[in-house]
Amino acid sequence: MLAYVLRRLAHGVVVVLGVLLFLFVLFFAVVDPDDIARRALGEKALPEVLEQWKANHGYDKPLWPWQDVRDNMLFEHFRSMLTFDFGRSDADDVRISDRLRQGFGPSLALTVPMFVMGVILGIVFSLFVAFFRDTYIDTMGVFLCVLAMSVSILLYIIGAQYLIAKLLRWFPISGFDPEPSVVARFLWLPVLVGIAQGLGSEVRFYRTVFVEESHRDYVRTARAKGAGELRIMARHVLQNAMIPILTRVVLAIPFLFTGSLLLESFFGIPGLGSLTVDAINGNDFSTLRTMVYIGSLLFILGQIATDVSYSLVDPRVRLE
Amino acid sequence: MARAPVRAALHGFRVLGSLLLGLASGGALGACTNNPYPDADAERKVLYTVFREAPRTLDPAVAYTTASHQITGNVYDTLLEYHYLKRPYELIPSLAEAVPEPRPLPGGGVAYGFRLRPELLYQEDPCFALGGEGRTTRTVVAADVAFELMRIADPAVNSPVTEPFSNLAGFREFAKALAARREADPEFGERPPHEQYAEVGGLEGVRVRGELELEVVLRAPYPQILFWFAMPFTAPVPWEAVAYYDGDEGRPRFADHPVGTGPYRLALYDKQFRMVLERNPNWYGALHPEWQAPGAVYPSEGEPGDAEAGLLDPEYVGRALPFIERVEFRREKEPIPTFNKFLQGYYDSAGIIQESFDTVVREDRLSPEMAELGMRLEKSVNPSVFYLGFNMDDPVVGTAAGERSRKLRQAMSLMVDVEEWTRLFINGRGVPAQTPLPPGLYGYEADYANPYRRVDPERARELLAEAGYPGGVDPATGRPLRLTFDTADTSARGRTTIEFFVNAWRELGLDVSIEATTYNQFQQKVENGAYQIFQWGWVADYPDPENFYFLLWSEMARSKSGGPNTANFSDRRFDRLYRAMKTRPNDERRIALIREMRTILERERPWIELFHREDYALFHGWLRNVKPFGMSFPMVKYRDLDAERRAELRTAWNRPVRWPAYALLGTGVLIAIPGFVTFFRERQ
Repeated sequence: MLAYVLRRLAHGVVVVLGVLLFLFVLFFAVVDPDDIARRALGEKALPEVLEQWKANHGYDKPLWPWQDVRDNMLFEHFRSMLTFDFGRSDADDVRISDRLRQGFGPSLALTVPMFVMGVILGIVFSLFVAFFRDTYIDTMGVFLCVLAMSVSILLYIIGAQYLIAKLLRWFPISGFDPEPSVVARFLWLPVLVGIAQGLGSEVRFYRTVFVEESHRDYVRTARAKGAGELRIMARHVLQNAMIPILTRVVLAIPFLFTGSLLLESFFGIPGLGSLTVDAINGNDFSTLRTMVYIGSLLFILGQIATDVSYSLVDPRVRLE
Repeated sequence: MARAPVRAALHGFRVLGSLLLGLASGGALGACTNNPYPDADAERKVLYTVFREAPRTLDPAVAYTTASHQITGNVYDTLLEYHYLKRPYELIPSLAEAVPEPRPLPGGGVAYGFRLRPELLYQEDPCFALGGEGRTTRTVVAADVAFELMRIADPAVNSPVTEPFSNLAGFREFAKALAARREADPEFGERPPHEQYAEVGGLEGVRVRGELELEVVLRAPYPQILFWFAMPFTAPVPWEAVAYYDGDEGRPRFADHPVGTGPYRLALYDKQFRMVLERNPNWYGALHPEWQAPGAVYPSEGEPGDAEAGLLDPEYVGRALPFIERVEFRREKEPIPTFNKFLQGYYDSAGIIQESFDTVVREDRLSPEMAELGMRLEKSVNPSVFYLGFNMDDPVVGTAAGERSRKLRQAMSLMVDVEEWTRLFINGRGVPAQTPLPPGLYGYEADYANPYRRVDPERARELLAEAGYPGGVDPATGRPLRLTFDTADTSARGRTTIEFFVNAWRELGLDVSIEATTYNQFQQKVENGAYQIFQWGWVADYPDPENFYFLLWSEMARSKSGGPNTANFSDRRFDRLYRAMKTRPNDERRIALIREMRTILERERPWIELFHREDYALFHGWLRNVKPFGMSFPMVKYRDLDAERRAELRTAWNRPVRWPAYALLGTGVLIAIPGFVTFFRERQ
């Protein structure tokens, strides 16, 4: 298994280097550093101020290593990303690593409960509809799931803010405060929206898996031996459906750290998703490249973790 | 070095821990409230407001946006300030004992002498330990003002306001000397700024005379310099703060950690979601209420109408400021949630979003529904002007074409219906402009109507024919006269707003095309003089006619000096009048000069004046002493609020409606029961 993991990591390194090169071309080779400086400093900035800013951020160096192998933007880009020395934000000069550390708490505060409750509710509801398969509960469940999947997350957000926060006044419309006495009241609504938005596809997926499993021979055997329906679903079917469940769940875990772009932005949660949206809106290329780079790293780690988890839950899987 | 990351990481874990604790202890029942603030603050005098983006910098020498002035204007007190109620705007002393009079100097220069109030203290801050162990504050001295003026000149600070201060004797020389020393000796550049400034001999035009006296020497008269002493750029700054807050070893940068003498101090600064100002107990108004300093007590005079509007309430007149104990800025990125929270009573004031404008404002007044909730609508005209400009260097629309182009410009001016434009695109939030001067400024004439700023297509056609373009046709080509409207706005909305003008000119038979490019390309065109018609705006730094008419002074022409006269308007008589008006005090002669200048502009039409921007703001009834200021100066210290009334109304407006939750639950159960029954019956 170790050899397999090392091989996957090596593949991952190649992918990451490719992502970094792509990012460099996209952000710095295509966009004129003068444009970046002008966006950061404003339209009225004096030429000498622009030059000073470019020098401070390393945008005054040549792009490619043809002139100087060490002192160029490409080398500096790879060096800073690979050593996790992300530098300072183009927008306000704050250290990006400090921003990341400050943002991951609020992001996790939103995504962890959303993820855990979403997975639990998804499995429970899908077991429920699979249990009542071919009845009107199943039909209605599938209909509701398709309906839920078809609606844009923006509609969930705006609808929830209007209906639940404005008209029914259960939770604040938006905002955040890390104080223990009030933090939960800000998170209930985005967590509910996140769960509601994801639940349709979760239930549809898990239901398909559970229904497929429930037609297998071992289920018939269990039923013939007199096992109750509840026991069959909770013990046999659930356990045997773990591989597709894990594929979905483990792959999602790393992305909990990067937060949710839209939910954080609309609900005013100062997490990493919100940071990414700010970077996009503010043309903060240095922060944006960091977020894309971290996203690619987490994706690769998530894939490796998924493969490893297969071997843990299914003894038939060997990683070689 | 590792302290800041560790602190940041701990902050992250604390937030997560808080959440788990909150979820575990609070639960759904406890969280069932839409109140975004801790209950303990319900009846305290806390003003709640919003910010969309955190200020890029809070360095007073650099900060130049409305968002940053909300903080710097409250944290840094200045030598002078504006009277809260009087219009036209009037300067009053703040940290200085009096507004100085100019003292002419031999050789044409002029000097202003400031004397600081005694025993002024900075807010408490650890940076003062640099001046002596255990020190947490110190008195303000004249050298601190000189230090800040030198910071404006310092090229490393990158202050955006070097131009107006370049009239200070030795300003440019000081900047050059600093830059040269730093280049010659890199170690010199590593030393604290105050030592570097002293080493190069200081700024010649800023003379410190003892602890409390300062003289500012200008090479030529520039009476408007006093307005700059009412802005945070010139506030006294302690050298200790600049030296200590360098961004190293876990210390924030000075740009993120203001240390001032104002009525408030920045108690919390989280750029992502919250900024908090708290009363500064070291403020001179708090320490010396017996002084009854004009900037430290509520004013007893205002403009006509203020008393009727309740702004001279005897309950407040002469009382020590500030009334509000804390100002909370919460980050809101989206306008709709912000406005809804205002309607719920969780923000004390709000702008009006486009989507709700018709609900809130009817026939230019607050709608009855909003008025019933006790809200107030306040309008204020910004000292700004938005206009369409002609490039006067252009051979077709510019000066070179003489009478022909003048009549063309006059004709085009008569086609622009600015009232319709503001109604369509900015909900009518603009006062149609007749001259560059906005209302509220000295020299503004409310009853003046520019004969070329009405809509008169018939007269426009006549003028066009007189210009040699009958029906808009250029006799040289036999086709409609082709002109270009150059813009850096590439958005669809931007194009629509410009098409409004272009369509009006097409009615005359002119063929005006829109050339939308990126900002850099547009700048390039402007630098090369390759443009004809453009749209521009100007928001004044200070309320003086000089700050508007200089936009048409030939010395400021873009083609000549890179200045803000983008129309490249050049008229000797106008220049002469401008120079005379610039340095005059506000008297009858100055009014006469302004009238002569506007008559020239009326005829020459280098601009088609559009509008002066008007802000509409909503305030809840519990907020007192609200008078919009127009310029970006925070006037929080004059405002007050009735926290008890606010708490009562918030409770009444925000009772949760719980029955839909029970109804939803009940419906779910009712739907499920028959299914359960049928299922188990079949299985058995």
